[in-house]
Amino acid sequence: MTTVNRRSTLHRREQRTALAFVALPVIGFAVFAVFPLLFSVYASFTEWNGISAPVFTGLANFQAMMVDPYFWQAMWNTLFMMIGIPVGLCLSLLLALALNRKMRGTTFFRTVYYVPVISSIAAIAIMWQWAFNGDFGLINQALALIGIDGPNWLANTATVKPAIIMMSVWKGLGYSMLLYLAALQSVPRHLYEAAALDGAGVLAQFRNVTLPMLRPVTFFLVVTSIIGGSQIFIEINIMTPTGGPEFGSASIVWYIWQKAFNYLQMGYATSMSLVLGLIVFAVTAIQFRLNRRNQFSID
Amino acid sequence: MMKLRFKTGVVAAAAAMALVLGGCGGAGTDAGGTTTLTFMFRGNADEKAAYTKAIAEFEKANDVKVNMVVTTPDDYSTKLKAAIAGKKVPDVFYVDPGSVQAYVKTGVIKDMSPMLEGADPVDLDNIWPYGVDSYRFDGKLMGQGSIYALPKDVGPFSFGYNKTMFEKAGIPLPSKDKPYTFDEFVAVAKQLTQDTNGDGKLDQWGTGLNVQWNLQPFVWSNGGDWLNEDRTKVTVDTPEFAEALQWFADLQNVAKVTPSVGEAQTLDTYQRWMQGQIGFFPVGPWDVSTYEKLPFDWDLIPYPAGATGKTATWTGTLGIAVSNSTKSPEQAVELAKYLSTNEEAQQSLVDAGVQIPNLIDMAEEWVAESTTKPENKQEFLDIVQDYGRALPANNTYSAEWYDELFKNIQPVLDGKKTAAEYLKEEQPKMQKYLDQANQAAGIG
Repeated sequence: MTTVNRRSTLHRREQRTALAFVALPVIGFAVFAVFPLLFSVYASFTEWNGISAPVFTGLANFQAMMVDPYFWQAMWNTLFMMIGIPVGLCLSLLLALALNRKMRGTTFFRTVYYVPVISSIAAIAIMWQWAFNGDFGLINQALALIGIDGPNWLANTATVKPAIIMMSVWKGLGYSMLLYLAALQSVPRHLYEAAALDGAGVLAQFRNVTLPMLRPVTFFLVVTSIIGGSQIFIEINIMTPTGGPEFGSASIVWYIWQKAFNYLQMGYATSMSLVLGLIVFAVTAIQFRLNRRNQFSID
Repeated sequence: MMKLRFKTGVVAAAAAMALVLGGCGGAGTDAGGTTTLTFMFRGNADEKAAYTKAIAEFEKANDVKVNMVVTTPDDYSTKLKAAIAGKKVPDVFYVDPGSVQAYVKTGVIKDMSPMLEGADPVDLDNIWPYGVDSYRFDGKLMGQGSIYALPKDVGPFSFGYNKTMFEKAGIPLPSKDKPYTFDEFVAVAKQLTQDTNGDGKLDQWGTGLNVQWNLQPFVWSNGGDWLNEDRTKVTVDTPEFAEALQWFADLQNVAKVTPSVGEAQTLDTYQRWMQGQIGFFPVGPWDVSTYEKLPFDWDLIPYPAGATGKTATWTGTLGIAVSNSTKSPEQAVELAKYLSTNEEAQQSLVDAGVQIPNLIDMAEEWVAESTTKPENKQEFLDIVQDYGRALPANNTYSAEWYDELFKNIQPVLDGKKTAAEYLKEEQPKMQKYLDQANQAAGIG
């Protein structure tokens, strides 16, 4: 046996081992991502109760969706509740700016604001359900102190969405704040010095240095928040298990889940999730496109 | 050397895949010849403890190992359907009557009837007929035909009142035999609604009810119903139905005998009842263990009755079904039988205060011994035996038509819309969903 031959045998063996290692995640991806995805595309064209075999019905589900008022309302509710995203981003940026200063107790406050992020969403939803209680909830008690008779937040069409938005903003604050904080600390000091030399005041520095340098983080947060926001489910299901008064807080994922698991309409539910998936994909693609213009680099 | 490693790698990978794909498995037999059954159920801590004890006895007596898969009540239906869709049906599991049709149509659950006879027959006459009939289905109608599950329990949803509050207010106690009329009920509730500490704010109310779970007794006793006899037509647009719903809403808006207007969440009134601020409140057997510790005296009475003069309410139930694909059908049916009808198993559940006995003779004994609350336990039995009904959606393929009624009901409860007007709008929508469900079930 020559040396060359031996090496190539070794190579082949190593290659095989490498392939075996690579295969695991690839097979995993195929089994748990690609196949379900393709199957769900197929299922969305069927009438399927989730138990027995699906029956192909062509576009029937999509036609039904067009005239299903609850589908549109759930879509609208989900979109409406995204108002929380810009609000949350502004607040978390302000918070990050505050916590970026050198003062006593910042570590403590950074931790405090991060606690909601790592807490169980179910526990948080139950806690807020109490807080929103019309009679003895924390929020209405606080409002009573300043003489306002608060509504029964979760049982009122006008207030149920704002209530859930408030909670989502509170829950997401710590996460966005932390990313902003990290980004703020990585802004090169010399940029501020240069701006100061040019005569820029605090506000001008913020507008011309800080904001542009934070743009990648903002972009990341906007994209992930929209994707996350379109999937809001657990808080809705716990705080308003019937979809809220007059379907006022039913999100699209909640409605999909309801149809799939409670009403035995897995096929219809799948077609709605396909539409939702396409919308999220399109919105994300548009965001990436818009962001291209804003890209910049520092040497 | 390399070769060996490669092989190990493949085996490890295969093992990992098998683990992932295996998930929760069905029945199997291990090397020792002991059958393993999977039993999937839901319940609170008290129930879990009672079941663990009962099942340990079953394992000893039958040389069977039972794998218990417990979920919270909220998760149960989703997890079970996911298991079924993944062809990993547990051998024995809870079903609610509302899913029986779908599971029978799709061949998920086993027709148990033949196996309930034979060498060790189940004395069906000693189990509440309501409990058994809830799981009978003949392919068209529920309530008759083959048995697809045995009752885990029956849940007569009774009405309670705060005895201590009545005595303090000097109001004669309600009769346990003769229900109040709607008017009498409102009159008493008004007397109970008080500001007891003189701070100008009410701190005690007549009642506090949740429309989704408490409307049925009033509709039925007023002569209304959700469906016609053969479950093909939604009948909520009748004057009897509208009158009962209007009366229900008026408890808040006109009579003002419930906490704050617009209040429909049970959580609050449930808490208030437990704090002794509510006069009348619904009581199910599953509440008894909690209510035993209440700092006031309470008892059961029939629900106030509407135009028919006859009280009404619903009886819930959960069933224990056996998978059609189980590898050990005999043992699986044995387990279902044991959980439903074994005296010791029943006793441990009754002792836990989560249900009334399934067995009629046992229940009669339980009523006779009167050391525990409520005093009028007979009311629970009367409901199961005589007048309790199934929830309207229990006998249909899907509950979507039924849930539709409650989706937009808030304006009625707030007094912004009349019940009659609302029900007229809702009927066609509910009918549409019922038609869809019946069509999916191959009925009508």
